[in-house]
Amino acid sequence: MTPTAVDVLVVGGGATGAAAAYDLARRGVRVLLVEQSDLSTGTSGRYHGLLHSGGRYAVGDPGTAAECITENRILRHIAPFAIEDTGGLFVATPDDPADHPARWVDACRAAGIDIDALTPAQARAQEPALTPHITAAYRVPDAACDSFDLVHGFVEAMRALCAHSTLCGDLLAYHRVIRLVTNDNSVVGAEVENVRTGDRQVIHAACVLNAAGPWAGMVAGLSGITVKVKLDRGTMVAMNTRWVNTIINRLRPADDGDIIVPVGTVAVLGTTSVTTNRPGDHHVENWEVSKILGEADAVIPGIRQGRALRAWAGVRPLYEPPDIDHGDTSGHGVQRRFAVIDHRVRDQLGGLVTVVGGKLTTCRLMAEEAVNVVCDQLGVDTPCTTAAEPLPLPAFRQQYHRLDHRLRKLEHGQLPGQLICECELVTRPQIEAAIAGYGDHPVALDDLRRDLRLGMGPCQSGFCSVRAAGILHEVKEHSNLKVTRALKDFVDERFRGVKPLLWGHQLRQLYLDELIYRRTLGLDRLIAPTPEERLDS
Amino acid sequence: MTANIASPHGNQPGTDVLVIGAGLSGLMAAVHAVQAGARVRLIAEGWGQQLIAPGWISVCDRADDDVIAEVRGYAALHPDHPYAKAGDDAMVHGLEAFQAITAAIGLSYDRRRRDGHNMRLITMLGAIQRVMMAPRGIANSDWTDVTESILLVGLRGWRDFYPELAAGNLRSQGIEARAIRIDLPEPPGPWDRWPTDLARLFDSSAFRAAIIKQVQPHIRGVEKVGFPAVLGLDHHTEALTNLSEQIERLVFEIPTLPPSLPGLRLSNRLRRWLLRRGVRVQIGHPVTRGLVEGDRCVGVEVQALGHVTPFYADHVILATGGLYSGGIQTSETGRVWEPIFDLPTAGPDVPGREGWYYDRLLKERGHPIHRQAGLRVDHDLRPLNAAGEPALANVYATGHMLAGFNPLTDGCAEGIALATAYKAVHTALELDDKNHRGATDTGL
Ligand SMILES: Cc1cc2nc3c(=O)[nH]c(=O)nc-3n(C[C@H](O)[C@H](O)[C@H](O)COP(=O)(O)OP(=O)(O)OC[C@H]3O[C@@H](n4cnc5c(N)ncnc54)[C@H](O)[C@@H]3O)c2cc1C
Ligand SMILES: Cc1cc2nc3c(=O)[nH]c(=O)nc-3n(C[C@H](O)[C@H](O)[C@H](O)COP(=O)(O)OP(=O)(O)OC[C@H]3O[C@@H](n4cnc5c(N)ncnc54)[C@H](O)[C@@H]3O)c2cc1C
Repeated sequence: MTPTAVDVLVVGGGATGAAAAYDLARRGVRVLLVEQSDLSTGTSGRYHGLLHSGGRYAVGDPGTAAECITENRILRHIAPFAIEDTGGLFVATPDDPADHPARWVDACRAAGIDIDALTPAQARAQEPALTPHITAAYRVPDAACDSFDLVHGFVEAMRALCAHSTLCGDLLAYHRVIRLVTNDNSVVGAEVENVRTGDRQVIHAACVLNAAGPWAGMVAGLSGITVKVKLDRGTMVAMNTRWVNTIINRLRPADDGDIIVPVGTVAVLGTTSVTTNRPGDHHVENWEVSKILGEADAVIPGIRQGRALRAWAGVRPLYEPPDIDHGDTSGHGVQRRFAVIDHRVRDQLGGLVTVVGGKLTTCRLMAEEAVNVVCDQLGVDTPCTTAAEPLPLPAFRQQYHRLDHRLRKLEHGQLPGQLICECELVTRPQIEAAIAGYGDHPVALDDLRRDLRLGMGPCQSGFCSVRAAGILHEVKEHSNLKVTRALKDFVDERFRGVKPLLWGHQLRQLYLDELIYRRTLGLDRLIAPTPEERLDS
Repeated sequence: MTANIASPHGNQPGTDVLVIGAGLSGLMAAVHAVQAGARVRLIAEGWGQQLIAPGWISVCDRADDDVIAEVRGYAALHPDHPYAKAGDDAMVHGLEAFQAITAAIGLSYDRRRRDGHNMRLITMLGAIQRVMMAPRGIANSDWTDVTESILLVGLRGWRDFYPELAAGNLRSQGIEARAIRIDLPEPPGPWDRWPTDLARLFDSSAFRAAIIKQVQPHIRGVEKVGFPAVLGLDHHTEALTNLSEQIERLVFEIPTLPPSLPGLRLSNRLRRWLLRRGVRVQIGHPVTRGLVEGDRCVGVEVQALGHVTPFYADHVILATGGLYSGGIQTSETGRVWEPIFDLPTAGPDVPGREGWYYDRLLKERGHPIHRQAGLRVDHDLRPLNAAGEPALANVYATGHMLAGFNPLTDGCAEGIALATAYKAVHTALELDDKNHRGATDTGL
């Protein structure tokens, strides 16, 4: 049952909102987390995957660099399940400004980031794929961080803390805040809409915490006030093998295509920086892909000829204080420090606090500072304790999320049942369990993808999508039309992320997939395009 | 016929026709050349698209009535279409020759002789594909004249066929259909079964007997019984006949996910047929380069077993397929080319690949890249160079690598493969149709 009154309503199920909801629960505040889609589907699910050491910001943004290294250590302590300690390298090539490394070393020292100088030979011994033309190399305490695990970790911890209470500690997914309810210069709640059914309800809250990332300006705008968020789109490309086991950063002033992150079985290359005016602008342009591959190739020769699996984009919510005007149109130059806005002070509007900007790496700190302001408004003086105690291991993700883990089980006969997604080793029992987890709610194939990595490997769902649709039809008893439509939606969704990567091998792969969908299945004959789809080019 | 006449280029036996590619058009080109009495060599990096395709022969899927008439009409209006380049006769003779050779090797392909219309075949998702010709097992699913119910049989525990979903979609289109699941009489192994594993099981009559027993109780009111297309590999025809007789209903096959058993059966049998007629069949051998002297191709280089070997021939049939099989290559920078002879394609290179694909994969009529990424040819099927002239006097291109049609959406890919294979060989060897001896002397 959904509560109709809580102490605090947190808007946004990204890293920041999830960390804040957990923090509030620890302080004994009755909290409800509202997310318009699913957890981690905003910027937090479309980021580069790097737990920053702070090295990237040391020269341009020392405040953020210092926060990153502190929070890096804290997250390793409290959420080890979400982190793979790959370590990181900063490497310079002959094309990079020769005076930069010295300045960078000083800035790292000043920010408290532990760096080790390596000879180029040592760097190549650690990462043999690196170019032989390295001019400088340093080791830094970067790590790879799975944002899905981290966000689920916060939410499950919040739920566990509130298990005794029926009124709080819950997540309301697929509900969008569409109105802030005000009363005498104070926000006293919000109206939320179930995005699937269109049902609306008002939830009363003593305070609303706006952690809506790129949408933060829109959410604040619901009460008529202005929060300026600079929206900066960045693209990433996943390659089909790891290529490196260490995070590789380009040692130069921040620019496009500087970073390579090994994540699970893939290497993620990125990123770009393009100003946009839509928080949900996730399109990827071909030039971005070429740019990213070209830059990565300068550091790892040959990677450009590798097989790119998938491209996606996320929107950075960069906070622009009203008094600063950046002439720079690229977001790489904008400070990454976050802001907590107490609207009671700034706009004489009580009951509303906005937190925006920052990094995924600093989400806990952002949450702490925002919750401090919220608690101040509520008159709660319990201090923040999120940095001290590790999160409990999240239950549903711990087992099967990593491919090497699944492979080991499969090889030892401990992964029973039919193998439905051969690329990511997803079995039928896992799919059935995931479907069961949705209870009476409808299930999209894309939900199963996010739960199990179904369809995220090299074939991008060419084989598993129809199998998963067949299973959904069998066990969930959705009608044949509904399941066929779900299959079509999944095919469309998967295609979005490969379209910018269609040449060579991946183009052949999509030829095979298209052949299966159109000829073997006749999917296009069963689902007529909608009128809008007919018009699109 | 394959007398060891030393070629001017070495001590290999002489080759009249060198076919590059083992897809439908390459295999059929080799068949035509053998039937014309030529000495033939076939070299391919791997099997062609028949191993991933459903297995039927699309000639003109959108035709509402007489398919051949529709193609003739279309070709007359579109002189750049591969059907127009091949000519009406090549299409008709190519289809006939294919039907004859497949019958001779024991894999009958059927079509609606009565009215020349497309059949209406059932897919594993319960959609209807209109197709002119298909292997008998698949052709048996034609529901054009069906008056009673169709029964779909699934195999419990097998991941590649979901009969309830297919039956549901058929019913939504007004077609009476039911689904059952039966148990495999074999205990499950540690790994999932591939279509080929199941097909080998269906080759055995004892296995089939156990299947038949489970299906028999469900056939009341049923006109046809459909299985996934795994009914035998080496003994497919026997399996199909046996199942139909014992179940006392027409049994049909529904193509499932790759690898395609219909394609595998055809590949195996055609290969055997060619080998027995002295054709050198080299599969697993990538051709890396054409050897050109003046305006002729004298042979090709093959990269295999760690070294490069040249093979010489008088005529070359280029049947290396399109974007899938590697006959046409694409690059990140937007280049589209044919790699063996470095021939230009119809689609101009597009910087940044702009416009190759639309935003939705299943966009009606498909994506521009598929139509453009192919060779332009003259009316003898000789590829054109950038100046629009035949690039080489003795090289002919067939099948998927031709520009001007989309093999995924236009419903004519196999028809074009058959028509152009026929035309290329007949042009190269300067045969008229009287020289074509047909497949009458055959058998395996
Ligand atoms: C390309 C790119 C690469 C990046 N790489 C890194 C990196 O390597 N390391 C790092 O530390 N950081 C990185 N970042 C930054 C980091 O991803 C973000 O700072 C962080 O994810 C922001 O999290 P958030 O929770 O504030 O926002 P989000 O994750 O966007 O969460 C906001 C949520 O609010 C929801 N929402 C919005 N409006 C409403 C509404 N009205 N009602 C209900 N819910 C609503 C949205 O659906 C969304 O889920 C990267 C960012 C980008 C774009
Ligand atoms: C570190 C990392 C590694 C990755 N590795 C791989 C890989 O190996 N293979 C691979 O295929 N992909 C990989 N990905 C990419 C991943 O599969 C997704 O493509 C990516 O996270 C972007 O999400 P999406 O657009 O595909 O879908 P989603 O994550 O589902 O996002 C859908 C978007 O739509 C919005 N939305 C959905 N419903 C609503 C609604 N009702 N109202 C408003 N908005 C809504 C969401 O807010 C979200 O922005 C990786 C991603 C990351 C971050």
